[in-house]
Amino acid sequence: MMQELETIENTKPLTAVTPETAIAIKNVSVSFKTKKGVFNALNDISLDIKRGEIVTLIGHSGCGKSTLMNTVSGMVAPTSGTVTANDKIVKGPGPDRGIVFQNYSLLPWLSVFQNIYQAVDSVMKDKTATEKREIVNKNLDMVNLMSHKNKLPGQLSGGMKQRVAIARAFAISPSILLLDEPFGALDALTKSDMQIELLKLWNLANRDKTIVMVTHDVEEAIFLSDRVVVMNNGPAATIKKIVDVNLPRPRNKKDISHDPEYIKIHDELLTLLFHKFSIDD
Amino acid sequence: MKKEKVLSFIYDTLYFVASMAILILLWALISNVTKNEIPGPKPTYTVFKELMQEPFYDYGPNDKGIGNQLMSSLYRVFIGFGAGSLIAIPLGLLMGSSKLMMRLLNPIVQILRPVSPLAWFPLGLLAFHAAEGATIFIIIITSLWPTLINTAFGVSSIPQDHKNVGTAFGFSAWKYLTKILIPFSLPHIITGLRLSIGIAWMVIVAGEMLSGGVGIGFFVWDSWNGLSLEKILVAIIIIGLVGVILDKMFNALQNAFAWDK
Repeated sequence: MMQELETIENTKPLTAVTPETAIAIKNVSVSFKTKKGVFNALNDISLDIKRGEIVTLIGHSGCGKSTLMNTVSGMVAPTSGTVTANDKIVKGPGPDRGIVFQNYSLLPWLSVFQNIYQAVDSVMKDKTATEKREIVNKNLDMVNLMSHKNKLPGQLSGGMKQRVAIARAFAISPSILLLDEPFGALDALTKSDMQIELLKLWNLANRDKTIVMVTHDVEEAIFLSDRVVVMNNGPAATIKKIVDVNLPRPRNKKDISHDPEYIKIHDELLTLLFHKFSIDD
Repeated sequence: MKKEKVLSFIYDTLYFVASMAILILLWALISNVTKNEIPGPKPTYTVFKELMQEPFYDYGPNDKGIGNQLMSSLYRVFIGFGAGSLIAIPLGLLMGSSKLMMRLLNPIVQILRPVSPLAWFPLGLLAFHAAEGATIFIIIITSLWPTLINTAFGVSSIPQDHKNVGTAFGFSAWKYLTKILIPFSLPHIITGLRLSIGIAWMVIVAGEMLSGGVGIGFFVWDSWNGLSLEKILVAIIIIGLVGVILDKMFNALQNAFAWDK
């Protein structure tokens, strides 16, 4: 299965990447009012992401990486600063940004098909019902779930649910995809398959879609990304360092781990994330 | 799989029969101890057969068969329960989706909910100038609370995840209502309806005792005046059985609309 997917990745030509900015995060701070007072989640963060780039946000739990991504999705409004997506200031969620949530967020009373259809129906108002159904079917086909289209989410495995969530995000054909720890709940094997599948979808879309992904998995971050954004621990989190991943694509999950560049980046990320390697016992 | 189902059905039946046997035995015992002042199962069964011979006879306004009595009670229950639900569900949706409404209306609910149906009856008479209207009024006002409370609870407990789907994909208010809010709340609403119909069925007997006319409650009162305790016992059994049937109906509805099975 893995081999097959990699071949698909190989066959797709790389289109010229236009160095235009897809997302511009400018001096963004986010604070929440809690019962104990004001909690500063993010402090003065600036980050530019180019079109077609895959960027992962990595950091410890509670460091605000999801909050940062949610300022892009529009689910969280910055307290100060601005986020620009596709040259428009983000004021809320929009159809140009597809979101894949951490816990799939499928509606349990709707079939797989309906889960995607309702999103398509909501976003693509000027299309006919037939066109919308075709879009749903095309995206279900891309994630190999056609035979499960009439099942309810409760009848699917975790990996399948996440594929539905990804198909739903792709179906509204956003130029930006935002993924919040999408594979966090999956077992290691399913996770690898899903990572390859995500890259496959990205290739099918001519590497034109910008992907921002939150993760706490170092290997996943390197395998997928062009850049890895390492965040400081909160509160008032900032960007600690941005690590470039200059590994050639298509990447092979198995071979990549022996690449000296991979090992170098892996070490660097681990050092950034964990100050002490030794465990005191 | 199928064999297990058959087996569990046989067990269920056996337990039910055993349970009924205990009830009849206890009943016979009590009847014996009271020296047949409370009629035993046997004379009650004789009266039951008599009543069942022609359940739908109609000899004028004060002499109707037990089937007629039952039907008119059921009719009132469904009118009262239906009207109560039509008030309770929209109000519950409103309270569940707005914190302001919840805080504003919840104290009213808490105060009115425990009031006995009998206390409402005079107000019903005053408002409708008729016993029939008053009976339906007390069913409405006592049976709407469980539906109201369960609906409000269902709506207010929609997980953030589901709400996020609506926000992220720009659902219209109508789509949010029909694809997220109502499907999520439906099992809660049906649970409320199930509790409400139980209350409505309990209240009807009390209501009809006060109102007179036709109905299973009136039948009980009338039998008491005619000193036919057997008839009262028959009525009690019928009231119980109908209550079980109503509950089973809503239980089936609950299963049909459960999405988390």
